[in-house]
Amino acid sequence: MHRLWNRIDFAFSSAWQNFWRNAAVSVASVLIVWVVLLALGSLLLVLHSLDQIVALEKTKASAISVYLADTTPLGSAMDFKLHLENDPRVTNVIYVSKDQAMARFRQLPALDPSVIDTLGTNPLPASLDVTVRDIRDLAAIDQEVRSSPLVDKSPATNYEPNVIDKIILLARVAGIAGLVLIIGLTGLSVFIIMLTIRTAIYLRRKEIEVMKLVGATDWFVRWPFIVEGLIVGVVGAAVAVLIVGFGYRPAVINLQSVLIFIPLAFDPAYLRVVLAAMLVFGLLLGSVGSYLGVRRFLKQ
Amino acid sequence: MAAVSEAAPQIHLEHVEKTYPNGTVALRDVTLEIPKQDFVFLVGPSGAGKSTLVRLLIREEKATSGTIRVEGQDLSRLKRRHLPYLRRKIGMVFQDFKLLPNLTVFQNVAFALRVTEGGLRHLKPKVEEVLSIVGLEGKETKFPDQLSGGEQQRVAIARALVHDPRIFLADEPTGNLDPATSWEIIQLLLQINARGTTVMMATHNREIVDVMRRRVVAIEGGQIVRDEDAGGYHAPALESH
Repeated sequence: MHRLWNRIDFAFSSAWQNFWRNAAVSVASVLIVWVVLLALGSLLLVLHSLDQIVALEKTKASAISVYLADTTPLGSAMDFKLHLENDPRVTNVIYVSKDQAMARFRQLPALDPSVIDTLGTNPLPASLDVTVRDIRDLAAIDQEVRSSPLVDKSPATNYEPNVIDKIILLARVAGIAGLVLIIGLTGLSVFIIMLTIRTAIYLRRKEIEVMKLVGATDWFVRWPFIVEGLIVGVVGAAVAVLIVGFGYRPAVINLQSVLIFIPLAFDPAYLRVVLAAMLVFGLLLGSVGSYLGVRRFLKQ
Repeated sequence: MAAVSEAAPQIHLEHVEKTYPNGTVALRDVTLEIPKQDFVFLVGPSGAGKSTLVRLLIREEKATSGTIRVEGQDLSRLKRRHLPYLRRKIGMVFQDFKLLPNLTVFQNVAFALRVTEGGLRHLKPKVEEVLSIVGLEGKETKFPDQLSGGEQQRVAIARALVHDPRIFLADEPTGNLDPATSWEIIQLLLQINARGTTVMMATHNREIVDVMRRRVVAIEGGQIVRDEDAGGYHAPALESH
């Protein structure tokens, strides 16, 4: 117990001294760890949001809103509704008036109600929300309704056949690009931590010589440097965790106010997982970097 | 591993060869026995192989061939993780002291105990004990650059004594010291020897070797050319000139 305490005390006090003795190099390695973890955390959150959007779009995939021109009388709209309902491919048609459309619009989470009030007149069209039996029929129905004079021309429907594919593609591209970036940065940060540890070892070379001479074990010599690497990892991770932890919610809200029609969600449970992963990854970077730093030097 | 009997020599080299990677042959066919509590001078010109011999004994280097036993342990078979425990049985001092300049006298000596997990409880009495053996009471808070060369070497000796070593190796310990101070260091080594520790001292100091009349092992060109009890720095034939 006493020996263990001596070992811990020695490792931590030496590591702390090392960290400040070459402060510039230490700060550089903290910064690179910070950048890596910031990239990692952001990527995980962005991919998670894209996943959520894809999931939501999939549930909406069998429906299409047909926008009606403001000039369409209600009677004609109802005839059109009936016509669609009689189509064997269609399971359900709902009429959404201009007022109902506005009411839905007001419920969008990120919208500032005062902005809507400044519009004066209601710019939203009435629509027929058509649900089909088979998603593959959507394209044909979209084509048919576009030719009707009752239908608004800008835009005629919200039919977006490739939206899910596009989002999946976007998620894949973002995922791969992010992964490549993070792998590159990880390599760089391990290398910089390794250099930091080498510098610390160089500054302590006389002490190490004496330690080996008087019979210190290899691990006793190594621990202070491993601990220094862990300190670098933890400090870099802590800063990144704070930024992501506190920045996630405001980022979602701000983005939502720009991307009004894309439903973004704040997911605190997932955020906790991401923050834990960042901390673990920071520790991993620090320990791998410092292990590589001490490994070769202490072989001799 | 061979049984360690009382009769077995403490240090035993048999047909030891050492060739460095660059092809330099530092030692050839060295056979040497040093019993417990012996006091041995290792003499010879620079580059003769004295330092290589010392480095082989603490296994800073491995022999190319032949066997070296220290305290019954075959050094070529000693695992790397057991090496620190060998080092704790061997006290070492050098010409350049190897003190840590940013630590006080007390801390320099205590350092050897701390880094070998001696624990902090017995640290202070032990450090005080070895500092009194080398006669540095009252200098505990001085830094190495505030001490004379002789005093610095005493600190190094104190540090080498904290593990109660069975063997004490001194590589040119008086190389940087004036004659009077050198004699003080020799007295200290004799005192350590008298306490039951085997002492081996590599030296160029002819005067000391000649006056002491202890066992002398002379090395030239990597070979032992002379090994005599109560010897002088040079062979008797040369001394008569």
